[in-house]
Amino acid sequence: MFNLPIEGEELFALEFGDIVNYFSLYTTTLFLFATAFIIIAIIARPERQTDIVFGTDAVYTKEINQDNLRFQRFMAIACGLATLGAVSSGDLFNFSLFTALIGITNIGIVAGVNNRYVLNAAYNYGIVAMVATTFLFGGASIALGTCGTLSIWELAGKGLVPLAAKMFLVLGVMGEGMAPFYIAKAEITRAPGAPYVLMIHVSSLLIFLRVIEIILTV
Amino acid sequence: MDFYQAGLFCTLVCVAISFIALFRERDDIHKILVVDLVETTGLVLICLVATDLAEALILPGLVVGISELLMLAELYIRKEKLPLPSFKPIKIEVMRTAPPIISFVLVVYGIILSGFSGGAVAGIGLVFYFLCKGYEERFELLETVSGYAWALWIAAFFIFMILPQAWLIAVMLSGGAILVKVTTKMALIGTMREGHNV
Amino acid sequence: MIRHIGKGFRIFSNWMSTYENLVAVYAALGIIVAVCGILMVPMLSYHEDQLYPKTMNRASTLDPYDRGGVPFTRAEIKAQYLDNSPTAGYVTTYLTPLSWFLANTTPYIGTTIVAHPGGIIDEILYNTRGLDTVVETSILFAAFAIASFLFRRKD
Repeated sequence: MFNLPIEGEELFALEFGDIVNYFSLYTTTLFLFATAFIIIAIIARPERQTDIVFGTDAVYTKEINQDNLRFQRFMAIACGLATLGAVSSGDLFNFSLFTALIGITNIGIVAGVNNRYVLNAAYNYGIVAMVATTFLFGGASIALGTCGTLSIWELAGKGLVPLAAKMFLVLGVMGEGMAPFYIAKAEITRAPGAPYVLMIHVSSLLIFLRVIEIILTV
Repeated sequence: MDFYQAGLFCTLVCVAISFIALFRERDDIHKILVVDLVETTGLVLICLVATDLAEALILPGLVVGISELLMLAELYIRKEKLPLPSFKPIKIEVMRTAPPIISFVLVVYGIILSGFSGGAVAGIGLVFYFLCKGYEERFELLETVSGYAWALWIAAFFIFMILPQAWLIAVMLSGGAILVKVTTKMALIGTMREGHNV
Repeated sequence: MIRHIGKGFRIFSNWMSTYENLVAVYAALGIIVAVCGILMVPMLSYHEDQLYPKTMNRASTLDPYDRGGVPFTRAEIKAQYLDNSPTAGYVTTYLTPLSWFLANTTPYIGTTIVAHPGGIIDEILYNTRGLDTVVETSILFAAFAIASFLFRRKD
């Protein structure tokens, strides 16, 4: 599979029984990118949003609850780790599970915020993320049914995976990563806690790049 | 058209129908119910493969659905700022005397069963105990315990991968972890009454 | 005519930009993809050579979950990469003492066999595809953490 144009060279393979993670030039790039953002989330202090009081010159800084901050940081790091797993996974079902984990932790990042609009958007996003697992698992299982295997190593370059399974996978990732519908996402990023909230964008960007690699490879 | 294709055809029709339901639904709480319907069709897609592997893959699929449901329901309560119901506990003699014995029997039986359904049985015992007796701040304890179960599971996984000879220990660790995990999740229901009014 | 199209387009773009309609937008996409899937069903034929095929032995006391082999011996399983899991097959045959006793005395153990450690499902979930289970538990753990965080907040 490593002679395909999109993958680049094989650098490293990590074997976990039937699931063999691989690090090609492409996935390693994504992996390093995700690692950099995890480090940022660990070391950065959150931004402090300022509000202007209407009609006056007064400006005040929003207080960020300590509990909330720690929880957001925990979820952001968990989301980063899930992204690491998703970009290096060598198995279709394992990839979809990691993507589902990204969807859940994304909601967790903003769930502690005490703002009705943010919570409303997060709720709608949560419903979409939940529905999207149908397509993720459905795509993986159709690939299993028609090809007899889930391992990307076996499927690579043969073009066996039917178009329907690929469409299902992409739509599933669209739901989890929330990519083309930015409506709720813009609403969600109104939540305070900038470096952690940004993890939502980074993870969805990276799983999108990964799913494109998968559907071009298999 | 073989059996797989016929099954796939029917399931995809079901998927389309359940998405039409989701498309037409406007009420937030009803959306959760419809989402459950949609998820079930996803599990059917896995079932259609009909091998032992598919049977094993259903479990993660099911767990993902359930855990997202748990989280979304809590998010909904928080979003709508719904108050916890406050009511006077029922005064029944049995509810004061029976819990220790019944819970003890159920927990021991659950541990003997071990594995997933063992966890469920032991969990029911604890639910009953917490519901009748009432405990404050058990929530955090349960959270910690489920954290330990998670760590046990990871340890078992690495034993399988690095020391395959010790497979029996790893199976026992995983079996113990799933027992603890399911038990804590079930026992959670019993503590959802906010201490004081019990 | 053009005015009508413009009006319709404005209504549509207003509808798209309200986040309450997000679920409906995704559901519409879902319907389209599901219908595409239905149209493609004739191309999706079942691959006969599957991993971990299901075998039924109606005479066995372990009936729906009979996996062959005696405890502490190795059963033949059809994994993807057998080299990566050298002890695959041992968990498949394992029975706890209690379930061993039940299997030898009653014909009913098959109905609760998944409740006991050991067996082909555990082999797949813990050993050969262990990473799946790790992720699954992490998902449950994350969701549980979120739910309990939301529940414990007092403000």
